[in-house]
Amino acid sequence: MLSIEKLGKRRGSRVILADVDLRAEPGKVTAFLGPNGAGKSSTLRILLGLDRPTSGTALVHGRAYRSLRDPLRTVGSMLDGPGAHPSRTARAHLAWIARSNGIPRRRVAEVLEQVGLAAHGRGRVGGFSLGMGRRLGLAAALLGEPEALVLDEPVNGLDAEGVRRLRGLVRAHAADGGTVLLSSHLMGEVAAVADDVVVISGGRVVAAGPLSDVTRGHASLEDAYFALTGYERAEGA
Amino acid sequence: MTRIRHVVAAELSKLLSLPSTAVAFAAMVLGPVAVTFLNARNAAYTDPAQAVLSAAPIGTVGAIVLGVVAMSGEYRSGPQESGGGRQITSTLTAMPHRAWLLVAKAIVVVLLVAVAAAFAFLLALVCAHHVLGGGEAGGVPARLFGAAAYWAFTALIALAVTVFTRSGILPLIVLIANGSLVSLSYLLFKVAPAARYLPDLAGIRLFADEDHLAMADALDPVTGGLVMGAWTTGLLAVAALVLHRRDA
Repeated sequence: MLSIEKLGKRRGSRVILADVDLRAEPGKVTAFLGPNGAGKSSTLRILLGLDRPTSGTALVHGRAYRSLRDPLRTVGSMLDGPGAHPSRTARAHLAWIARSNGIPRRRVAEVLEQVGLAAHGRGRVGGFSLGMGRRLGLAAALLGEPEALVLDEPVNGLDAEGVRRLRGLVRAHAADGGTVLLSSHLMGEVAAVADDVVVISGGRVVAAGPLSDVTRGHASLEDAYFALTGYERAEGA
Repeated sequence: MTRIRHVVAAELSKLLSLPSTAVAFAAMVLGPVAVTFLNARNAAYTDPAQAVLSAAPIGTVGAIVLGVVAMSGEYRSGPQESGGGRQITSTLTAMPHRAWLLVAKAIVVVLLVAVAAAFAFLLALVCAHHVLGGGEAGGVPARLFGAAAYWAFTALIALAVTVFTRSGILPLIVLIANGSLVSLSYLLFKVAPAARYLPDLAGIRLFADEDHLAMADALDPVTGGLVMGAWTTGLLAVAALVLHRRDA
């Protein structure tokens, strides 16, 4: 269970987030939707203890991320890019992460296999394509066999096979009782996997609830999204 | 809270799998050996141990590189093709206790400096004995230990400074230039004697004995070592606080 309450974040006089509420429950895939710059990444970074909120709380099983012991065994996450030093090999990158949380070494090969990167374990991250970088990020998220997955724009840069694999993985994780929170600005990808939806625009949550509730009265999630975020005028669509 | 032993193991694994670590290690070992050889060859010294100690300052270059890359690697952007992203994100999600993280980095850096110093001085002593023949001076082992301590303090100061800058370029240029080409601290000392309390000058007699030092009134080894140690501890403490409070 991931619970965010009344989260606020300012940088100088700029309001990044205002009163953001979000819950991601076990057994469900929760999609966090919004245009670029709406505050999705900022919210997830605070949830993961990377940035500090100005107000409000973001908790994992009722505890602040920073107070978790071996956090990767509870929450697996992927933010922008693989988060790896370009001169390191994929295997070396996963190896140090495993060590940091007391995760058995055999998991490194297992997750490389799971994300379809087994053939590139000895390749340096600096030479990876965008899709391979995303796969490596996903491998790191899965390393600790966590209960919750937090994925920021996981579909970005993945090829068709990668998207399909990700969908399957995310659905399977929720079916096993795990919690999945994923952000996206692509409606089509999300409509196919999400149970619950939270839509954010300009740092504020504009809609939240089961997918069917949020899309009620609209032709599709995409229509609902544009209506809710008022984005259609800007896009001229 | 992540167990410190896991954090140390992770940081060791990280540093050992970076190519720049090998460069720093080679610089710490080969630099002093080469300078010892040249000093012995040019008969600048007659005592082998003295020749080795005269080469100790060059080892700070590798120590600085090691201290810097241990931190700057965290902030290096990946190539755009693979989605960018910096390692610090992975590091802090895996090890959210930032003070422990810095402590672990410091432990690993000191460990590697100690191993490099052992190799460097052993090889340099063998080399100097070979060129100059026998000869043994009192108190030399203590000063070799002092030289290793000086390297370790220097590497830790580089580590702390890189926490502030989040990039390796500035600390590398400033610290290496100050340590090898023109010592800004020494120039300052010429004008203001209080500059002998600056970290690099304070610890200078950890390895240099008074007869071979251009600097008059240098702090004695014990006081100087304590002053340099205090600088190091202080800078690391401030770095830990900055790291703790700053958005990643």
